[in-house]
Amino acid sequence: MFFEIEGLTKRFGGLTAVADVSFAIAQGEIVGVFGPNGSGKTTLLNLIAGIYAPSEGRLVFKDRKLAGAKPHELAALGIVKTFQNPQLFAELSVAEHVLIAAHLKLKRALGAGRIATLFNRHLHEHSLSAEVERVLALCRLREIRDERAASLSYGNEKMLGVAMALMCEPELLLLDEPATGLGEDEIKNLDEVLRALRAHGTTLCIIDHKVGFLSTLADRAIAMHHGSKIAEGPPAEVLENPDVVAAYLGRGHA
Amino acid sequence: MKPAMKVVLAWLPLFLVPLVLHNEVVLTILVFTFILGILAVSFNLIFGYTGQLSMFHAAAFGIAAYATHLSMAHLGVSFWIGMALAVLVVSALSLVVGTICFRFKLKEFYFAIVTLAFSEMARLVILNWGSFTNGSLGINLNSKPTLWLPGGSIPVEGTRMWYYLSLTALIATVAVVTRVVHSWMGRAFAAIRINDELADTLGIDVFRYKLVSFAIGNAGAAVAGALYAFYLSYIEPGYLSIEQSLAIVAMALLGGRDWVVGPIVGALILTALPHVIELSAEARILVYGLILIVTILALPRGIAGVFARRRRVL
Amino acid sequence: MLQLVVGQLLNGVIIGTLYGIIALGVTLTFGITGIVNFALGAFMAIGAYVGWYLTDGLGIAYPAAIPLAVCATALMGLLADQTLFRFTRNNLINGLIVSIGLISVIESVLLMLWTTTPKNMHYVLPGVIDFGWFIVPRMKGVVFLVLLAVILATYAALTRTWTGRAAYAYAQAPEAALLMGVRTRLLETGVVVYSTALAGLGGALYASLYSLEVSLGSSYILKGVEAAILAGIGSVMGSLMGGILLGVTEAVGSIFFPQAYRDAYGLVFLVLVLLFRPAGLFGARR
Repeated sequence: MFFEIEGLTKRFGGLTAVADVSFAIAQGEIVGVFGPNGSGKTTLLNLIAGIYAPSEGRLVFKDRKLAGAKPHELAALGIVKTFQNPQLFAELSVAEHVLIAAHLKLKRALGAGRIATLFNRHLHEHSLSAEVERVLALCRLREIRDERAASLSYGNEKMLGVAMALMCEPELLLLDEPATGLGEDEIKNLDEVLRALRAHGTTLCIIDHKVGFLSTLADRAIAMHHGSKIAEGPPAEVLENPDVVAAYLGRGHA
Repeated sequence: MKPAMKVVLAWLPLFLVPLVLHNEVVLTILVFTFILGILAVSFNLIFGYTGQLSMFHAAAFGIAAYATHLSMAHLGVSFWIGMALAVLVVSALSLVVGTICFRFKLKEFYFAIVTLAFSEMARLVILNWGSFTNGSLGINLNSKPTLWLPGGSIPVEGTRMWYYLSLTALIATVAVVTRVVHSWMGRAFAAIRINDELADTLGIDVFRYKLVSFAIGNAGAAVAGALYAFYLSYIEPGYLSIEQSLAIVAMALLGGRDWVVGPIVGALILTALPHVIELSAEARILVYGLILIVTILALPRGIAGVFARRRRVL
Repeated sequence: MLQLVVGQLLNGVIIGTLYGIIALGVTLTFGITGIVNFALGAFMAIGAYVGWYLTDGLGIAYPAAIPLAVCATALMGLLADQTLFRFTRNNLINGLIVSIGLISVIESVLLMLWTTTPKNMHYVLPGVIDFGWFIVPRMKGVVFLVLLAVILATYAALTRTWTGRAAYAYAQAPEAALLMGVRTRLLETGVVVYSTALAGLGGALYASLYSLEVSLGSSYILKGVEAAILAGIGSVMGSLMGGILLGVTEAVGSIFFPQAYRDAYGLVFLVLVLLFRPAGLFGARR
């Protein structure tokens, strides 16, 4: 199995944010996790991304148990997450962000030998800049490559988050509410970029509460409510599921 | 290559100074500036570039001074070997202190306090280990570094020789730090400084790189400590004092923490100050305090910030 | 032996209240203005010198000299706040450098006024209190009680009065407090001034016990910061506990280990606490 979680539970003191959730993701899939606010989707993603340690349950990625791995270790393994509220390097430019994100790439390419680049900058640096341009182009950020992150529009901030994640060459990319706060055009843009990613071989796990965005994009949907998984299957099916409708709209509408 | 030529041309005038200027006082100030410049520039790698306010730098400075002398006195090695040993000792200590601090993820203020605590502990050990260190009386150093030349070996003595030695060491330090800062490692440091949570998710091992910058920075302090001690020919526990640590921070902030060479300007100001102002001891302290206050409030990017047009490159 | 331990313990407790009053100033300043005012040690020195000068120089009765010294210090604190600290709110590094610069300024002025010659106040309250086993000099006992009372009164004021609770609210949620009508600028200045007043009180009392020199405050501000962190920044009663704990640790450590490393025992304790309980022993607000 490419990626699998089993009995995943997370408690914060008396509050159980995620309760006994299990599902699997196959390589190359786009899985969408739905749920109203407070359903535990973000906590679930943070558990997968190593930001929280699970209270119970296990995570397995390519036959390897992920026990309390830290974000940078997971990134090295191929699991990268974007932030719901974009985390950026305020004073740096868009291009500089992507360049920093190339850290792992350089490490994979040169290994311990990258010490050599301290003495000769041109070793590998020029191919890095080509890569940076490629990612910027893919995410439609080339025109604003020299703008400071602090002055970007919300949509561009989110796209920058995706660009940085891409630079890390993830096998499993976790997206935390990528479409929230975006306008029509930006969502269309995002949709295209994510499809291109999947075509390239990246597996995606997206959480969002914008139902429309996820239903067209995802191969499979998982619905959550109050920390538990309440439905799983093709998006259209899941959205018709009475429990899911009730969770989103309230009992009376089931 | 154009950029390299520009750099050589920038430093060249300094090599010519002793040939035209014969004022002992000015030359002495410059020697101290260069050595303290090494201290401040290496500190700024940890502080200005990686964003960690370390109060351990004076300890590295002082421990290296004592270690160099002690290894020369008890092991009979030359100054250079002694300095190398001192750098090793300081690096080992930095790894220990750094591991403790960064493993426990101490942030900003608490990191400063814990490094301060370790620094004070080191100072107390040196102050009280009388048999080795002569305690608060300090040690007068009689040996000198020697240079091996085709003709034979000559001791480094006199302001002029020290001038060239310390200037060379400073340039070497600046070169190393610049190399690091403009590389992928420097990018990792910057990422940690600006947003370490984000850096973590991008695959940067925050613990490791904080530790690396801490170790490299302290190694620079060690070099400065060895040079300073033998130039002054006197070491005492005050090398490790809190005042010294604070002076180093002041140098970096006054000069400008956004540039590799910024702290050198700060070192110049703090070194030259007592000589420029012909006042009583108390008045000098007053002026020192006022300069610190005015600069930090009026020139947040330091003096270099006034002259540098664009913000520094990543 | 027991006598020695108890005697040292008591000493530690009394010194601890001095650490505590500075710690209280540190914790209040950090909680409300977001900086650590390292100059509090220098303000302590102001209180000490003014207290000594009024008593021995001008012949004013000591009990009257104390409040005057406190007021003088508070006035200096107000001046410092309006000219300097006002511009460094919530900026830790700037606040640090400004307060260090301020230390130099204050110490140099004190030097100009009173020189480096150590000053000794005459014995205001000679004699000892005899507890049978051990004895405590009367003046030390008075100092202890006064500082204890002030810290307790501060705690009461912070928890019982509207102003006090507004201060707590502000420390936790600045914007909310502002919206609820708390005069935040006034609060910030008030806290800075109050902390310097506390330091001044500590200094004025210190003057009756020890020899004065201009840098007397430097080890106290360090200990005060240590104690505040030990307890957990933001806790008022914690400052007192932290101070006493620190004083006792140093005192007891000096019995069993070399006296010369006295300062280190508190430091080791502090590092251990920070590593394993980063929020301090008594929990954190921030």
